[in-house]
Parts: sequence; structure tokens; C-alpha cells
Amino acid sequence: MKDPYEVLGVSRTASDNEIKAAYRELVKKYHPDNYANNPLADLASEKVKEINEAYDAITRSRAGQGSAYNGGYQPGGSYQSSGSYQSGGYKSYQTSSNAAYSQVRSYLNANQLDAAESLLNTASNRDAEWYYLKGMIAYRRGWLDEARQHYQTACAMVPGNYEYQNALRSVQGGYTPYRQTNYQRSDMDTACDICNALMCLNCLCGGCGR
Amino acid sequence: MFGYVRPRTDVLSSEEMDAYRAAYCGLCRALGKQYGFRARFLVNYDMTFLYLLRSGVRDRAEAKRCWCPARGCGKKVCTLDQVGFETVAARTVILCVEKLRDNLRDESFFRSLPDRFLRLLFRRAYKKAARRLPSFAALTAEQLGKLRALEQAHSPSIDATADAFARIVAGCAADVEEPALRRPMEQVLYQTGRFLYLADALDDLRDDCQNGVYNPLRFRFTPQNGELSAQELDYLTQLTDSSVNLAGAALALLPLRAYDRLLENTVYLGFPAVFAAVRAYKFRAKAGLPGIGRRSAKGGNTPKGETE
Repeated sequence: MKDPYEVLGVSRTASDNEIKAAYRELVKKYHPDNYANNPLADLASEKVKEINEAYDAITRSRAGQGSAYNGGYQPGGSYQSSGSYQSGGYKSYQTSSNAAYSQVRSYLNANQLDAAESLLNTASNRDAEWYYLKGMIAYRRGWLDEARQHYQTACAMVPGNYEYQNALRSVQGGYTPYRQTNYQRSDMDTACDICNALMCLNCLCGGCGR
Repeated sequence: MFGYVRPRTDVLSSEEMDAYRAAYCGLCRALGKQYGFRARFLVNYDMTFLYLLRSGVRDRAEAKRCWCPARGCGKKVCTLDQVGFETVAARTVILCVEKLRDNLRDESFFRSLPDRFLRLLFRRAYKKAARRLPSFAALTAEQLGKLRALEQAHSPSIDATADAFARIVAGCAADVEEPALRRPMEQVLYQTGRFLYLADALDDLRDDCQNGVYNPLRFRFTPQNGELSAQELDYLTQLTDSSVNLAGAALALLPLRAYDRLLENTVYLGFPAVFAAVRAYKFRAKAGLPGIGRRSAKGGNTPKGETE
């Protein structure tokens, strides 16, 4: 097993709060939202598992030989115990009533894109789910223009479907949470604008007061 | 090659900027050492990014002051990484020469004379590089052939055409043995290749429309007088932003020990800044946006304050 401190990117002398912050930051970085329908989702899942194990190991060692979680996180409170990133996060494709579509989703889970596409092409009925799955295959291949067109068709056929809308958002260039936190400069500008507006408001309110 | 893959230098720390310059100069030096002096002219930002990505999972190599031909008697700090630069230099030579070879097919004899001369100039270097990486040379030739077939068929699919080029770029990580490293690297490079192709297509659109040359954007969209509508440009920008997200997500999976800020800067800030400049016709007009540098007159690209 790797050095847990190295996994979390903290020094051995880091405080509990620093470790907790590093842990939270890493979990946010590899959050399933950042890897939805991503061909590398399995690697992200492994990464989260490694981070959880490292965090558990550190908290256990710091608490002595006693209970595993003596700090801020209790069993069930950590990401690993909740299981949310293992089974429910990265590959949570909804089940389909159509047996062929279920099989296509299984192929997608296994990253077998050619098999998924061959099976999908044999379907005679091209409904919203067909276009959605076709879009997923294109997205996995990196064919983002084609993926977007298929997702748009699926959304137009069934407007209220959350799964299809989410997929469409992924090819509309929106910022992922991690990118938004670290590299979205215009958001900083927006934040500054808000601060400026608040300061102006404060001046105005002060000016109106006694 | 193109010079679209570059970091936003205005937000780099001086230490990161120095590391970037040292890598760029290190690649130039490696090209000179392995393929002769003239191969130094092939150094470019795009392949510097490849070096940073490939070597980022290792500890940073040492750097020292070396002679720089652009400075005459002067010296510059160069990264000394013989193993790391060896394959990157070979890929640089292969890609540049294959691109020249591909250009020759598009032009008449007289118009292609400069490219013919350059290809002749790098013939021996190419042979040596192709011996070093035969599978990459074969992949490049094969994918450029596919791209050419799509161009001749006037394919309206920007995905299919970008895919042919992106597969070449992704092939730059095909020799990485460990799948946990190779897969994210291939994804970063695939999306980088896609970005490169689309940025180049948009940059060339006006000229291509005027000259009647194939450009995937001509057939996918409906340009008027060589220009796309604001909606079409927004659509294209969103597609490249999605590539940034996918490349960034893949980059995050790499256990980077060096150049992490430089690589993240290039993907998250450099790509959007370059595309915005291309979209505003500022990239080619040497009136680049702050921090993305300029194109040199001879088509190469040089980091801020650098000379080739």
C-alpha cells in the first residue's frame, strides 16, 4: 500500500484539520460528476478508493489502536463507508425496460464501444433512449459534435428526462466543479463584481443613514 | 507544429515560466543533438507540452545553462533529460515531416517548392526518427491518409476529421506501458489533438473559403464570406470547452510529480485563451491576447522573451 500521507499530499506533521481539508479537496476532485460517462471513470473510482483507504489509515493510526474514526468523520460519514462513489456514482446508468438497451448499457459499463454500437444499430425502433445511448457511445469516443446532436434529439423527444438533460449539459462546455473552483477566472471576476456591488451598496446605505 | 498548445504565461509564476522555457530550450537542444542543427527549427510549443505531459509523472530533470544558437555566444537554461526528450524529439521530426509531405499533395508544383525543399532538408532526420519509432511513423502516415480521404470526400463531420488527427497525437503515449498512466495520457492527448485540429480549422477558415480549399467547418456550418455566425462560433467554443473538461479530468488522474501547474494552466487557461484569440482573428494577426504570446513571422512560435 502507498504511503497514506503521500496519497493525500500532506506532510506527516499536518494537523487533523489539514488532513481533513486535503481529503475533502481530493474527493471533490474525483467526484463522479466530473467523470460522468467518462471512459476513465473506473480509474477515478479506484482513485477515490485509494484516497478513502489512505484517510482511514491516517485517522486510525492517529487515534491509536482504538476506533477507526476519532476525528471529524464517523463510520458512515466517510465517502467510502457511504459507498456513494463506488456503486452509485460512476456507473449509475438507469436500467432500461428494453433488453437490448440494457445490454448496450452493460457494454458501455465495460467500455466495449464497438459491441454497444453494433447492438444499438440493430434496433429497429429509434426512440429517445436510442439517441441517448448513441450519444453516449459518441461521447466516450470523444466525438463531441455527434454526441451533442444525439443528446439534443433525445431531449427533444422526451423533454423532461433528467438523465438526457445531464448528458446534454456535459457537451455544452459547462465548467466541471473542480475546474470551476480552480481555473474559472471569469467566476472570480464575477465574485469581484459582487463584492464591488456590495461595497457600493454599503456606501449608498451608509450615505442614506444618519 | 501549430503553436496552439501553450500556457497563459501572464498567470504563471516566475519559477513555472523558467521551467517552461527550460523545457522548450531542452527540446530544441535535444533536436539539435539527435537530428542535427537544422532540426532545431522544428521546436514548437505543442511538442513542449508533450514533453511536459510525458515527463510530468517523473521527478523533474536537472537543468543547466547551455549554448543557445539564437543568442550567438549566449547561454540559456535547458532541461537535460536525454531519455525524456529522445522520443519527443523523434515524434517532433516525424510529425513535422509527415505534415510537410501531406502539404505537398495539396499544392501545385511551384507553390509546393518551399515545402519540397524543407522536406529534402529533413529527409535524413526523418529516416532516423522513423527507425527509432517505426510504429508511430506508420500510425502518422496511416491517419494522415485517412484524413486526406475524408478531405477529398468533403466530409461534413468535424468529429471524423478531428479524430484522424487526434489519434496521431494520442499515439504519442501509446508506448507507455502502465495502463493507469497510458489511458489518461492518451485521453489528454486525444482531446489536445482535437482542440488543435478545430483551432487550426477555424484559423484557416477565411483563407480556405477564399481559395476553395477543404475545411471541415465549411461543410459542417454555413460560413458567410469565410466567417461563421456568432451562434456557430458559440457552438464550436462549447465543443472545445468540453474537450478542455475531458482533458482536465484525465490530467487529474495522472500522478504528476512535476509540471502539474504548467499542465493545468495549459489545459484550463491556455486552450480557452488561444481559442478566444483564434475566434477573434487575433491569433494569426500577431495581436494575441495577454499571456498567450505571439506567432513569429516564420510561422514558428516562441515563448515570451524567447528567440528561436
